Amino acid sequence: MSATTQLPAAPTPPSASSPADAARPPQRLRRGALRSERPGVRVAAWATVVICGGFGLLPVYWLLATSLTPRDQVFSYPPKFFPSAPTLDAFAALASNDQLFGYLRNSVIVSVITAVLSVLVSAYMGYSFSKFRYRGRRSLMYLVLASQMFPQALLLVTLYSVFSAYNLLNTYTALVLSFTTFTLPLCVWMLKGFFDTIPDELIEAARVDGASRLRIIHSIVLPLAAPGLIAAGLFAFVRGWNDFVFALTLAGPEKQTLPPGLVNTFIGEASTAWPELMAASLVVSLPVAIAFIALQKYLVGGLTAGAVKG
Amino acid sequence: MSLTLPQSAMSRRRVLQLLGIGAGTAALAACAPSAPGASTGSAASAAATGGTKTDFAFSSWSFTEEAAAPALEAIVKAYQEKAGVTIKDVSFPYNEYINQLTLQVKGGQFTGAAHVDVAWLGSLAAMGKLQDLTALTEGRGYTDAALSAAQFDGTQYGLPWTIGAIGLVANSDLLKKADLDPDAFPATVDEFEKALKSLKGLGGGLIPYAASTKAAQLKDILIWMETFGSPLVDGDTVTIGDDASVEAVTWYKSLYDQKLIAADVDRFDARSLFAQGRAAIYDDAPVGRGAVTEESPDKDLGSKLVPLSRPVLKDGDTPRALVWGGAIAVVDGEGAETAADFAQFATSDLDTVLADYEVRGLPPVTTEAQQSDVVAADTFGTQFNDRITATSTSNPFWKFTAYSQIETVVAEQVQAVLVGKTDAKTAMQKAGEAAQKLVA
Repeated sequence: MSATTQLPAAPTPPSASSPADAARPPQRLRRGALRSERPGVRVAAWATVVICGGFGLLPVYWLLATSLTPRDQVFSYPPKFFPSAPTLDAFAALASNDQLFGYLRNSVIVSVITAVLSVLVSAYMGYSFSKFRYRGRRSLMYLVLASQMFPQALLLVTLYSVFSAYNLLNTYTALVLSFTTFTLPLCVWMLKGFFDTIPDELIEAARVDGASRLRIIHSIVLPLAAPGLIAAGLFAFVRGWNDFVFALTLAGPEKQTLPPGLVNTFIGEASTAWPELMAASLVVSLPVAIAFIALQKYLVGGLTAGAVKG
Repeated sequence: MSLTLPQSAMSRRRVLQLLGIGAGTAALAACAPSAPGASTGSAASAAATGGTKTDFAFSSWSFTEEAAAPALEAIVKAYQEKAGVTIKDVSFPYNEYINQLTLQVKGGQFTGAAHVDVAWLGSLAAMGKLQDLTALTEGRGYTDAALSAAQFDGTQYGLPWTIGAIGLVANSDLLKKADLDPDAFPATVDEFEKALKSLKGLGGGLIPYAASTKAAQLKDILIWMETFGSPLVDGDTVTIGDDASVEAVTWYKSLYDQKLIAADVDRFDARSLFAQGRAAIYDDAPVGRGAVTEESPDKDLGSKLVPLSRPVLKDGDTPRALVWGGAIAVVDGEGAETAADFAQFATSDLDTVLADYEVRGLPPVTTEAQQSDVVAADTFGTQFNDRITATSTSNPFWKFTAYSQIETVVAEQVQAVLVGKTDAKTAMQKAGEAAQKLVA
């Protein structure tokens, strides 16, 4: 067999949990599927859709409505579903607040690095747990998972002491390391499940073709695991983006991220600037929402791959 | 179908391994560096006699508050120019402030001046890192009441910055509509209840008294217990569960049942209800004035605010109020000497204090400032001082480091009474027993 010989086609598992399947968007309902049902069923189905949609979207609408409401009308009674005198003052206030852009920059830096680091480390760890057999493998796997069993407050105190001892407080490093502490276990297990679905025969075939171990990982396994890597990265990104307590405690004023920054800016001892807070929340949610929309098919596929069999 | 993540059920040995790991990590956490020894107060003494000025940090939750930040920035700027030093400002959100400050002080990350709520002084002092600032109080004109509010266990751990009280605040327009004279408000609890019924008679869904009924803020019940004659604490013995506390909670429950107070109200809700004209009376400190006037569609609400003495159980009793306020404490370490000097400057330099008053409107703590024209011209402020702050006392639980947990266990039992889960006597006995355990 020459070096250019194609790899043998890997046997496809009977389940829908292969990487290719995971990357495929969920099967859509047949056009007009609901239309073919009896009218009563159709009405009930659409009513369910509307209720569930409303349940999910109403808070988002309220966020938007409050951000457009003047501060002295936020708690007007009876509550108004549509702001009677909508204003963009809250958004204008955001735009003129340089400090918020600093928080935004910090959030982006920390979340992106957390996502990259988590994916990088968990990919190798997950691959190792999935494809190699060695003494202590299972213990290590559960050890990784064990860190999820501790209350965050306990870990926070410990991490604070450690970072303080190593002079890492008030640095991006402290935030990235602490966020990665939380994201790594789930990412590792998620990717291990994903790698489990990649047939060993595929790796064997590559090895027979003379591919080195690193080549196999980088040229064959990781591209196939792209949906899982994206899902893990998105999870880690969101974890870093949303964290409040660790960012507040470890970051210091210069490296503070958006969640503590917004609270610090808009929630005071006696009052809360609700329109500004809602406007800021809306704006900072957008990157995550856009990322979810753009990558949702990978996310769903990546999260569920390897979750079920049989 | 079966889950594949755990490849096999965890064996007992593995569970034990995990528990061992957990215990090990917990032990590591417990071995975290502890705070060094208690402060000797030398920096404060040095500051009192003058010395070389050095840079230091100043923490306050108000640095990022839209309304208060300009006042603090002006004070910092004035002192930096006066002393030729740089002050590094540190800020945490108010609700997280004490936890963050405690962590930073314990870990040795923070030294310098710290804006603190007077309620927190006991907890912070227990770390042994606060300076005794007694030497800095002499000749500065602090009122005795203000100095007392910033003491813990007889030691001046903070210089008072703005000291007031939490008392009843009413909308005078609504009182007048119910034929109640704001300047001759009912003196006794019975008369107060009748007045609330008159206010309820105005209709329109008006809440006569937006008293705290959410567990998070039900510590407000303590001042009513004192009004009914309970000392709350006698030495180190919690007296909650005595007849007076039971009577107070029974009365509170009757107000609740008559819908004279509303369900699910905390301080923020009360301010909103009051700002919207949906509540006639509520409990607040002077700091709440800015919040309710800013949130209100009634641009003239500020002139309608009137502070009321808390009704007493019987004629001749002294109206009760709970001390509220802020102080500046000094954490021992780098820059502490200059920080102590700054604390004295911020809290007692007349020009600085009056400039601060014009922005924040919070009660000053020196006699000279209190008698100044700008403070005397503030009708609400002077009435609040005369009717509420004058007879205010500290929360007796503040002397215990677990005061916050004590307030929580009492609040939970009071809430159980309000929602009808238990009776006042049983609940207060339980609350007293639980609080006693936290004192011990």
